[in-house]
Amino acid sequence: MLTFIGRRLLTGVALLAAITTFGFTLLYLGGGDIARKILGENADQQTVALKAQELGLDRPVLVQYGDWISHAVRGDLGTSWFSGQPVLDAISSRLSVTLSLVTGAIILIAVISVVLGVLAATKRGWVDRFAQLLAIVGHAIPGFLFAVGLVLVFALTLGWFDPTGYVPFLTSPTGWAKTVTLPVIALALGGIASVTQQVRGSVIDALRNDYVRTLRSRGIPARRVVLKHVLRNAAGPALAVLAVYFVGLLGGAVIVEQVFAIPGLGQVAVQATTQGDIPLVMGLLVATGILVIIFNLLVDLAQGWLNPKVRLS
Amino acid sequence: MRFTKAGLAVTLTAGLALTGCASGSGSSTSQTSKTITLGNILAPTTFEARNMNWGNQSVYAQAVYDGLLKPAPNGKDVQPSLATKWEYNTDKTVLTMTLRDGVVFSDGTPFTAEVAAQNLLRFRDGTSPQKSKVADLAEAKAKDKTTLEITLKRANPAFLINLAQAAGLQESPAAFGKADAQTNPVGSGPYTLNTSQTVVGTSYKFEKNPKYWDANSVKYDTLTVNVYTDATSELNALRGKQLDAAAVADNSILPQVEAAGFRSSGQNLNFAGLLLFDRAGKSNPALGNVKVRQAINYAVDAAAMLKVVGLGRGEATGQVFRPESPAYEATLNSTYKFDPDKARKLLADAGYASGLELTLPTSPGFPKALWPLLQQQLGDVGIKVKYVDTGTNTIADLQAQKYGLSYFTLQRDVNDWQLISTMIAPNATWNTFKYQDPNVDALLATIRTGNDADSAAALKKLNEYIVDQAWFAPWYSPTNYFVTNAGTSVELNQGNVWPNLWNIAPKA
Repeated sequence: MLTFIGRRLLTGVALLAAITTFGFTLLYLGGGDIARKILGENADQQTVALKAQELGLDRPVLVQYGDWISHAVRGDLGTSWFSGQPVLDAISSRLSVTLSLVTGAIILIAVISVVLGVLAATKRGWVDRFAQLLAIVGHAIPGFLFAVGLVLVFALTLGWFDPTGYVPFLTSPTGWAKTVTLPVIALALGGIASVTQQVRGSVIDALRNDYVRTLRSRGIPARRVVLKHVLRNAAGPALAVLAVYFVGLLGGAVIVEQVFAIPGLGQVAVQATTQGDIPLVMGLLVATGILVIIFNLLVDLAQGWLNPKVRLS
Repeated sequence: MRFTKAGLAVTLTAGLALTGCASGSGSSTSQTSKTITLGNILAPTTFEARNMNWGNQSVYAQAVYDGLLKPAPNGKDVQPSLATKWEYNTDKTVLTMTLRDGVVFSDGTPFTAEVAAQNLLRFRDGTSPQKSKVADLAEAKAKDKTTLEITLKRANPAFLINLAQAAGLQESPAAFGKADAQTNPVGSGPYTLNTSQTVVGTSYKFEKNPKYWDANSVKYDTLTVNVYTDATSELNALRGKQLDAAAVADNSILPQVEAAGFRSSGQNLNFAGLLLFDRAGKSNPALGNVKVRQAINYAVDAAAMLKVVGLGRGEATGQVFRPESPAYEATLNSTYKFDPDKARKLLADAGYASGLELTLPTSPGFPKALWPLLQQQLGDVGIKVKYVDTGTNTIADLQAQKYGLSYFTLQRDVNDWQLISTMIAPNATWNTFKYQDPNVDALLATIRTGNDADSAAALKKLNEYIVDQAWFAPWYSPTNYFVTNAGTSVELNQGNVWPNLWNIAPKA
């Protein structure tokens, strides 16, 4: 197990190196005149040149990349060119906000998908048809449109939630709930549609297995068969989809945070990428890369815990 | 096993809650007279006084810093601030200012003439986008604790108003060069930035400065400025009553904002139209021919542009100067009244009877409705328009002289010399091809050094000349809106998109 974890971590480091190199290259290819973008339309050319010099943008790209790498491995991700804030501070102050959205969405997806998927697979009938309909609707409605609709109905018309912004949990638990509920629902819709289908399919497959027939013939109640045996076998594929969704949710947060004006990683990612704030984008690449690597590792370990057949040694 | 899974659920729930414990944007606002939440479309690129910008970022600067002078709401005159008196010598190259005594920065450091001199020179040598406005500053020296002497390389009619904007901001010398100077400002202004409750780039929270020398001018105990880069989220925040006042990001949301009970105050701040940079015909010989430039002016229906591109919010104009300027002449607005036949004739007279091709940059930041309309109208008179998508690099490409003309909106400063320095003078940032004309140079010399009457006459001649020579093809002046709720009053600052902070107040 330890060898497996070590190997996965090493792969993760190589992956991070590849991602950052690729990211840096892309950013430089499409970066344009960064100093001009920082200073805007009023600055004269001499000031723009001075700014470029101040940021070290007049150096060869390889030198700049080497400089970034040498600082990054020591934990120094630099300073945002567009706000002057240290990149580590920018990420750490926003990471928890995005994680609270993504974690909330993952929990919502897991709970609703498992309940609905199992019910659809075991009861069939109208529950199954509802699950199928949800899958179509969930995939058909674009995430941002759903988010805007939620704001319109539940925040602006009914006034139950705040339409924009974010209140930390420690500042006000109710304020926090009022600001994260709609974004979490908006983030979760697509995931619920997909994972419900995955759980439903896996449970139907598992129910057709011989061991289920054997368990039933022994007189074990159907509920126990499903909850203790079938679900455990069906959980593997669902977990794999959930892992993929976690990565997808980080991307989805970009749009949702923009619509709800939430100060998370997604919002800053949009701004930094549009502006060409290379230190901040690179820091975000590192942070999200690490998150994805750790989450995938945890999912692999959970798969082994749930199903000994895929346990890794 | 059951315990383990239950524990997992508890852990996940607690984790979710804990991940929500970070500092946030504090979206909800308390509608008391002591708290105000403002919406802005830009975050400050820095809080370091020497590098600060103005315009949309002026609200942040005015919260934490004092200027040597204050801009009057008419955008032209200046009022006392840290400088209480000032006077020029006869040739207007030496400015002597008497500074307020007893002012301290929020870190306790006293404000003196020596500090003011250091701040001015740091601004001149910094990288603020406004830096060119103090290009004429030769020296700043403290004569004594409260007397500052500023020497200019040559007279500059905009120097005082510049000192009331970014160039005059005063930062504590103890903060000079500090590692956190860009995000933790130390000024003597009416507020201090609460860094622990600020989310850089998204939400800025300011607390009243208890040491402020002009406590009566501070209207609120706390001030929050939220940043909305997306018009929809700004609209939602306004409709959800999360903001008390805001600079409107996009005029298309205005009807809904007004329907939500907000009062809008507007000013025609900019002008929109074509900037015909290449008046010498370096990139395209056709543009060097005044008849071609005039034909471009005649070919475009400015009223249609205002209606379609400007959503009807603004006023048609044919000149770059503002109506309150001595340069302004109402009759000039009809110089190039829409006349495609005249445009065709001018093109034929210029030797382009069979037409010509012009290349214009497009940008995601420009209004989309513009492109087909412009292409069609210029095409009607025989000018084939080729568009090149410059992405987010438009300004850099324009400054690099890659395009001889472009659509753009430029700010029309109230101070005529500021406007001239931005778009007309040979070294002006928006005279991208650095075009120089002896007639214009002579008029600029008079405007720079002449008395009020001579200067006003020269301004009028200058405006007539550049309209006749078709340096620009202005179409309309779009209205910029600032909206306030029922409990907030505002007096706009002419020439700036944001009102002066002290002119936003609880309604009596």
